[in-house]
Amino acid sequence: MSDEPTETADAAEDGGAVVERTRRRFPSWSRAVESEWFVVGATTVAVALFPWLFARAPVVSDLLNGYQDLASLILIWGIFAMGFNLLLGYTGLLSFGHAAFWGGAAYAAGLFSTQVSSSPLLIVAAGTVFAALLAWVLGFVALRRGGIYFAILTLAFGQMMYYMALSPLSGITNGENGYTDVEVGQLFGSFHLRYPVPGLDWLLGTWQYVFVGAITVLCVALAYRVLNSPYGMVFRAIRENEQRAEFVGLNVWRYKLMAFIISGSLAGVAGSLFTIHGSYVPLESLYWTTSGEVVIMAVLGGVGSLFGPILGAGLYLYVENITSGIRELTVPLTDVVLLDGFGAYWHLILGLVFVAVIVLFPRGIWGLFRDVAAGIRRLGGGRR
Amino acid sequence: MFLVADGVVLVVALDRVITILLNGLQQGAIYVLVAIGLSIILGTLKFVNFAHGALYLIGTYAGLLVTLQIQPTGGRLADWGYATLGLGWGFLAALVIVPVVVFVVGLLMERFVARPFYDRPDTDQILLTFGLAIVVQEVFKILFGGQSYNFARPAWASGPVHLPVVGAFPEWRLYVIGITAVVVVLVYALIEYTDFGLVVRAGTRDAEMVQLLGIKLSRPYLMVFGVGAALAGVAGVVGGPLYAVNPNIGTEVLVPSFLVVVIGGVGSITGAVLGGILIGETLAILVAVAPQWSQVGIYLLAAIVLLARPQGLLGTEEVAP
Repeated sequence: MSDEPTETADAAEDGGAVVERTRRRFPSWSRAVESEWFVVGATTVAVALFPWLFARAPVVSDLLNGYQDLASLILIWGIFAMGFNLLLGYTGLLSFGHAAFWGGAAYAAGLFSTQVSSSPLLIVAAGTVFAALLAWVLGFVALRRGGIYFAILTLAFGQMMYYMALSPLSGITNGENGYTDVEVGQLFGSFHLRYPVPGLDWLLGTWQYVFVGAITVLCVALAYRVLNSPYGMVFRAIRENEQRAEFVGLNVWRYKLMAFIISGSLAGVAGSLFTIHGSYVPLESLYWTTSGEVVIMAVLGGVGSLFGPILGAGLYLYVENITSGIRELTVPLTDVVLLDGFGAYWHLILGLVFVAVIVLFPRGIWGLFRDVAAGIRRLGGGRR
Repeated sequence: MFLVADGVVLVVALDRVITILLNGLQQGAIYVLVAIGLSIILGTLKFVNFAHGALYLIGTYAGLLVTLQIQPTGGRLADWGYATLGLGWGFLAALVIVPVVVFVVGLLMERFVARPFYDRPDTDQILLTFGLAIVVQEVFKILFGGQSYNFARPAWASGPVHLPVVGAFPEWRLYVIGITAVVVVLVYALIEYTDFGLVVRAGTRDAEMVQLLGIKLSRPYLMVFGVGAALAGVAGVVGGPLYAVNPNIGTEVLVPSFLVVVIGGVGSITGAVLGGILIGETLAILVAVAPQWSQVGIYLLAAIVLLARPQGLLGTEEVAP
């Protein structure tokens, strides 16, 4: 999606678009691509095809070496990275404490599943509500200072949550061992998440993937709607020039807090899904390395675009789980890899690529794709 | 508890209190050394250095290699056939050599990492230095392995020393406090009483005006970065024997040091000292009284200070961005 402030949904409703439409009978391709229906539809198709392409398609999956479980994990982290990027890419605030929302929601979801209800939908709802409330409280304090202070403060609060879960609250969270008592029930009381989808298991795999995929599409639609609304425009205005936004009469602080809460809530959705996915909440989900990972994913994929961070999440997890040859689906940095060849170097290489992206392509891989696509179109004589 | 009015108990308790306070001072000393570098770089150059922990990491490993001879196990260096590594020149040599080494690393970092990014937004600086910190950490992990090395305290300071009232206290901790105090006074004098310090302080207030007066700021800035890095190197050397040496120590020391900067106020050396002592003492007291709350306590402290005084205890509003 484009970043130009003039091309928004409401601009399309008024005068300019009418003139356009009288001249051309059908909306142009580039305009159709920008429409919400197209974005949601394309996301649905992509999410539906992804596990098949990744894990079961004849040639592609052999090349990729992917597997079903990783496909859902990529979507989950994709939601997290997309939510994070609402803050970094669209509001210009760099949070180093998003692990608090991811891990906090994961713990809340886990506790909810044991104590209240094991319905997956309710678990996700509980985790998300917890993350939203937490974001409201933390944002209230952290947003008192802008720029670097915000990064440092969010980092500090994230760490505080980690240490809270580690010892003072270890009676509830099970401390160092992580929360192991997660109970995941059946979706709507009838679909067991571990079972394959009858008739469509070649395409989608398990009900769990359907559940995660549906929520992913929902989150993308929500984020797209928010960002293309006048409300989301204000986020971008704050990113571009906070002072000017303030002078125009906008309550910048309130918009920033709201962006923080939306971003934290999406991280909460992802964190709750992570609990359902693994039936386990590792303590590391609150550690600051988790915040660091989502930063890397978003920047690699490309901040300032909706789908870049999802791509970044996929790439990161792919390198972490497949290319490195580690079988366990755990957070990295927890055990030292002493494998031969690439295995030991994957984190270093990701770090170097990350630095290179910041220095050379601040718009990330997604931005690079768009540049290449625009270049090809120009070569073909097309008008951009 | 030590708040008992009975005479005998009070004496017994007093030594415990002083031991706790000394432990806190020692804990704070490491954070002070790292935080001063962070704080002056942030205050003068307006550059956020998330890779400052990596400088501490470099300082510790360099200190380990100069002081002792180690047998690398588990890293690539071991695979490549280096059975023993290190100079084994002793601790005093490390205390001289390592700050120089890290100073040079700091100069290189300013020239090739920080300077191209002075005009970029804060977030880009943070992201870049964060990426750099990961790269440095991973390089050490690959070379030396992820396991911990034992940085033995020098023989002349490894035992306990008998202090009046306190009783037996680890001698090394006193050295850490002493070395830190000397280094901090030196840096304070450098910034407050020399021409170089005058330029740096003026540049903090109004860089444009200083340049209009015909003073080139790029060299003082380079020096500030180098001095800040060297301080992290000193911290690495004196802190190395206190904790296990592994590739994660850099980031472990970075987060509390950022809190110190935030509590003390950006750009203020005395603020960093005050903040470091506060954090160190809070940690030490909580470890003695309510250990499970010790880590949470320092973050709560930072949150309270920031709510009450957003610019930090000794910070000034105009320096803070």
